[in-house]
Amino acid sequence: MDIKATVLDILNDLTGNDVSGAMDDNLFDSGIMDSMASVQLLLSLQSELGVNVPVSEFERSEWDTPNKIIAKVEALA
Amino acid sequence: MLTFEPYGNPTYFALLGVALLPLMIGLLYGKRSRLYETLVSIFFLVLTFGGSKWTQGVALIIYILYEVVLTWGYAVYRRNHNSGPLFYLMVILAIAPLTIVKVTPAVENGQASLIGFLGVSYLTFRAVQTMMETRDGTLKNYNIMTFLQFMLFFPTISSGPIDRYRRFEADYRSVPDRDKYLGMLQKGIRYLFVGFMYKFILAYYFGTILMPKLQLMAMHSRGGFLDISWPLIGYMYCYSADLFFDFAGYSLFAVGTSYIMGIATPMNFNQPWRSPNIKDFWNRWHITLSFWFRDFIYMRLVFWFMKHKVFKKPTTTANVTYIINMLIMGFWHGVTWYYITYGLFHGVALVVNDTWLRYKKKHRQSIPHNKFTQVFAIFLTANLVCFSFLIFSGILDKIWFLK
Amino acid sequence: MAKRLLRIFGPLILAAILVFAVLASPVTFGFKHISTTRERQAAVSLSPNVLRGKHIKEAALSDGYVPFFGSSEWSRIDPMHPSVLAQKYHRDYRPFLLGARGTQSLTQFFVMQNIQGELRNKKAVFFVSPQWFVKGGTRKDAFGFYYSQLQTAEWLTHYRHDAIDQYAAKRLLQMPAAKSDHFIYAALQRVAAGKSLTKDQRFYLQTRKNMLTQEDQFFSGINLPSQNLSRVNRQAKKLPTQYSYSALDRLGGQLGKQATGNNPFQISDKFYNHGLKQEIKTGNLKDFQKNLSYLQSPEYSDFQLCLDQFARLHTDVLFIIPPINQRWQKYTGLSETMLKQFDQKIHYQLQSQGFNNIVDLSDKGNVPYFMTDTIHPGWRGWLAIDKRVDPFLTKKQAQPRYHTSDKFYEKQWQQLEPSQLSQYENNK
Repeated sequence: MDIKATVLDILNDLTGNDVSGAMDDNLFDSGIMDSMASVQLLLSLQSELGVNVPVSEFERSEWDTPNKIIAKVEALA
Repeated sequence: MLTFEPYGNPTYFALLGVALLPLMIGLLYGKRSRLYETLVSIFFLVLTFGGSKWTQGVALIIYILYEVVLTWGYAVYRRNHNSGPLFYLMVILAIAPLTIVKVTPAVENGQASLIGFLGVSYLTFRAVQTMMETRDGTLKNYNIMTFLQFMLFFPTISSGPIDRYRRFEADYRSVPDRDKYLGMLQKGIRYLFVGFMYKFILAYYFGTILMPKLQLMAMHSRGGFLDISWPLIGYMYCYSADLFFDFAGYSLFAVGTSYIMGIATPMNFNQPWRSPNIKDFWNRWHITLSFWFRDFIYMRLVFWFMKHKVFKKPTTTANVTYIINMLIMGFWHGVTWYYITYGLFHGVALVVNDTWLRYKKKHRQSIPHNKFTQVFAIFLTANLVCFSFLIFSGILDKIWFLK
Repeated sequence: MAKRLLRIFGPLILAAILVFAVLASPVTFGFKHISTTRERQAAVSLSPNVLRGKHIKEAALSDGYVPFFGSSEWSRIDPMHPSVLAQKYHRDYRPFLLGARGTQSLTQFFVMQNIQGELRNKKAVFFVSPQWFVKGGTRKDAFGFYYSQLQTAEWLTHYRHDAIDQYAAKRLLQMPAAKSDHFIYAALQRVAAGKSLTKDQRFYLQTRKNMLTQEDQFFSGINLPSQNLSRVNRQAKKLPTQYSYSALDRLGGQLGKQATGNNPFQISDKFYNHGLKQEIKTGNLKDFQKNLSYLQSPEYSDFQLCLDQFARLHTDVLFIIPPINQRWQKYTGLSETMLKQFDQKIHYQLQSQGFNNIVDLSDKGNVPYFMTDTIHPGWRGWLAIDKRVDPFLTKKQAQPRYHTSDKFYEKQWQQLEPSQLSQYENNK
């Protein structure tokens, strides 16, 4: 399974929204994501993809759209 | 020897202008003189912590040395090791002076601690943040000189905004190009002037002229249900306005001065009174503090709780952490019943807010969402916030318990 | 770049120039007029801003108000308070109350500096509190609170090279407040050393004086407290329409009786409940003033500053020396002999220099309802004071002849035991 699909799955699970239609929308501004969901995202990335992201790596402005998240994870994987 | 409260009077601003002029010219021609910047910083630190405040100056020097030893020692250690308990110990040691300063007045009848100085909490936030990022491995090349500059950056030393080591370092190590710098200058000057209006006109009106009158009236109108009176309600709004204009004004000075020095210190306020809910309010009010709490307390606690599966449901985790997070913020303001109640109030407000948002999401069809509900949400949030500031102000302590 | 820089800094520079031009200019900007209501408010406001300023005082004093120098007693506004009586019975004068808790002679000397025109050949009332004459003299923090750079700057632009101003400079240098302006501090050092000011210092002082005068004109009227004026108005309603000393004295007794009674000191219940009651319970106040003395104090020389200032301006002054609530004095162990000696010493300082208008009430501490609390006159006390103040201010007085002496600035005088007064007199 590729990274993109897994990340989208995690995001859909987490937010209860289908985000694949709006890959460049800011998830925080629209209220779909918050700090809690960010932590859940980090934990899921660790358990499902084995990608370890420390909390201080999570600079919100770099993780605020589905596309940015996918790019970040691909860089770290 | 004279001492100045930072940004306290025209002379301070005049000195600031004179001191920053060579720096501005340098930056316009693409040059940054570390030596000159250091001298200016030292000059203004002496202005703030010298003269009659010399005991604070001594406390500051000892404190800085202490934090340098801790962060530097930990950075060296972290290159090859990563023990959890040692990290916790180091964080506790880094927070210890602040804890002593905050607890002393509560146990010593209001007596201020000897090791305290103006800005001790803001410096502690910076030191702890540096340490945490060192642990995470995101901050790899710790440098003592940069750390000192970061900690002692004079525009923000007394009350923030709380910058981050890596962000500060990136600015500090580079020189903005002329076009970008001109933009920063323009913003900086504008911030200073908006700051003048906030701090010296609006905050003066609300805080110095109106507030004492309302307080007196509120004290005279005691006796009703919970001693609540119309003047007390007036005081609540007046205090909130003063708090905002005073602190936002100060923050504008600090950020404006930073910009003139070519450092883009993050903003502290972003139109907080138009927040539609409490959660959003904390993204707009005292931003660098609430983000610090979010990144270094809230997220880390949530992370830890979830990893160790302490609570079954994620919502429970979030709620418990909200309360803990805001209680810590309350304690940080000072160990008095009203600060702690204020923290608890905001913790509960965040929990209720989250529950409502979830409920609203589920029942999206049946809950109206229009101009009117939006205005109502803003109105409700602003009033809740003002009420929380009434608790925070400590006037209830006087009204209820002062004979 | 130049264009962009001009856009950024142009408005800033323009604003700075404008502000400086307005503040430093010696021209007044049409703020001269002060309404009667504002004067009435200011006269009883006891506001530190009014005391520190110039504009409002100056306007009121040239408009029928008479300066009443003093301290905390002015805040005891009951129906017999001088401001109430003057208003109710349409006297030709209105008191302008100068002073509040913590103001003493040194503060008053500087207060006089920028109302000299309004004091020259005019009348004034001066309330001397024995409590000022403690060992340390005026408290540094209290002096600092009422300190006015404007008054100091004004004084320094017209000071004289004599023992008086030299002493004033030395005294001011001992106060932390003097350090609030570095240049003024340097100028004071020269005055204290008997040197003339440099040209630069004179220029600085003149500019600073102009700036502070403008600031005072623009801002001192803002936020003038009005509670006291409404108190005066309320108290005036309790008085009979026609003035009659005996009727008022009876009324004073009645009002005093109503207001006191919950304590053995004949102190107003309100004052007593406000803190004193708790203290009495602990017993700590019994005999706590046993060793207190008003006989040796730098205040005597500070007071001399005021006397010299009055003499320079030929101001005709009525001095009031209040008693101390005798029940209180006995309870706290304050020595009666010492109080008598204080009276002698202060009388000597006043009368030997030609200040003969003295209302000495020091023996009235046992008159019922004379005092409103421990040391402040109320009801019948105010009335007794009014009995002397009214004729002094409304009737023509003989021109006073003052012959002041610099010996009162000497440490020897400050420390002199009143028992040695006659010896002192013979030696000088």
